[in-house]
Amino acid sequence: MISPCTQNSIISFCLCLSFCVYVRVSVGDAAVGKSALSHIFHSDGSLFQKNYSMTSGVELLMKCVNIPETNDSVELYIIDSAGKQTLVEACEKMWGDLSLLCLVFDLTSEQSFANCSHWMERVRAHCQGRHVPGVLVGNKSDLSARREVQASIAQDWAQSQGLEYHETSAKEMENCDAPLLALARTFHALYQERRETIQNLSPG
Amino acid sequence: MIDSSLSSSGAKVVVATCGDENHPPENITDGNTKTFWMSTGMFPQEFIIRFAEPTKISAVTVDSCNVKHLKIEKNTSQNASQFEPVTEKEFEHTEGHLQSNAISLNGSSATHLRFIITSGYDHFVSVHRVSVQN
Ligand SMILES: Nc1nc2c(ncn2[C@@H]2O[C@H](COP(=O)(O)OP(=O)(O)OP(=O)(O)O)[C@@H](O)[C@H]2O)c(=O)[nH]1
Ligand SMILES: [Mg+2]
Repeated sequence: MISPCTQNSIISFCLCLSFCVYVRVSVGDAAVGKSALSHIFHSDGSLFQKNYSMTSGVELLMKCVNIPETNDSVELYIIDSAGKQTLVEACEKMWGDLSLLCLVFDLTSEQSFANCSHWMERVRAHCQGRHVPGVLVGNKSDLSARREVQASIAQDWAQSQGLEYHETSAKEMENCDAPLLALARTFHALYQERRETIQNLSPG
Repeated sequence: MIDSSLSSSGAKVVVATCGDENHPPENITDGNTKTFWMSTGMFPQEFIIRFAEPTKISAVTVDSCNVKHLKIEKNTSQNASQFEPVTEKEFEHTEGHLQSNAISLNGSSATHLRFIITSGYDHFVSVHRVSVQN
């Protein structure tokens, strides 16, 4: 894809996903809130979808993030990927050259957290050694009475996977910007680092 | 003969996908491998070089970093459109120094050459010099 050129704009593909293989048929439980989060980020907090509609393919959302203290911005192309197992394979083809990962689980579902490691394997296999920075997001922090995953445990696992951990509530619009802002910053830093490396290369 | 600076012969980059204003596409044709154009993310990336007049080209040499797959297209029209494929090449990954690849174009005549980088070894790729052998 060729995008229109805005100056000093760094572009990334960000994959938003989680794992929901459930034997139960209730799709409501399967939904961890990826689409809800993506939409809120995309719309600067004006959109929260109360009614669950399952993502059946991938949805592409674009968001431009300004990097503080620079003239640079990062365009995030957010691929909201389906979480349902039967749909994942088709979606994987559309992940393309993904640059960033936003892995979302439901804080009220231990299972959705446990499945994060399957997602990581999948993404790693897809990226074939390319370094893909990412964040782990525990969503639905508003449902504190139903919480099944403790922050410290999620935090530890995230760290072991090289992911930055955030908790959000797409419903209360709490902290929703944080994970993707963190990703944008990371990608910007990566760009600067690579630019410096290239600057110091000798001719072939 | 190797034309070390394409721009001195009137050739210039007329189109390039996203870039950093500190590393403009003119750096591709200035003959200097110290200066470069750098992509800022995603693939494909492309740039188009226009020659001052229709030019017979036996080969091009591309000095670059992190480029994995490159396609070259050309046309003989005044406009940068309606290209036909010429060739493509898989570059080897290099560490610590630039990739330098000579690509034969079999003496095709062209007014525009279009370079399409379809994949890279990293999120970002750079092109430091394109030189043309007539
Ligand atoms: N209480 C609460 N509900 C949420 C939150 N985020 C999402 N939901 C609800 O959870 C349900 C599923 O949200 P989606 O965003 O569609 O889930 P998804 O992860 O995209 O699901 P798939 O597309 O099937 O993979 C919806 O009914 C949302 O309203 C949240 O932070 N708190
Ligand atoms: Mg969804």
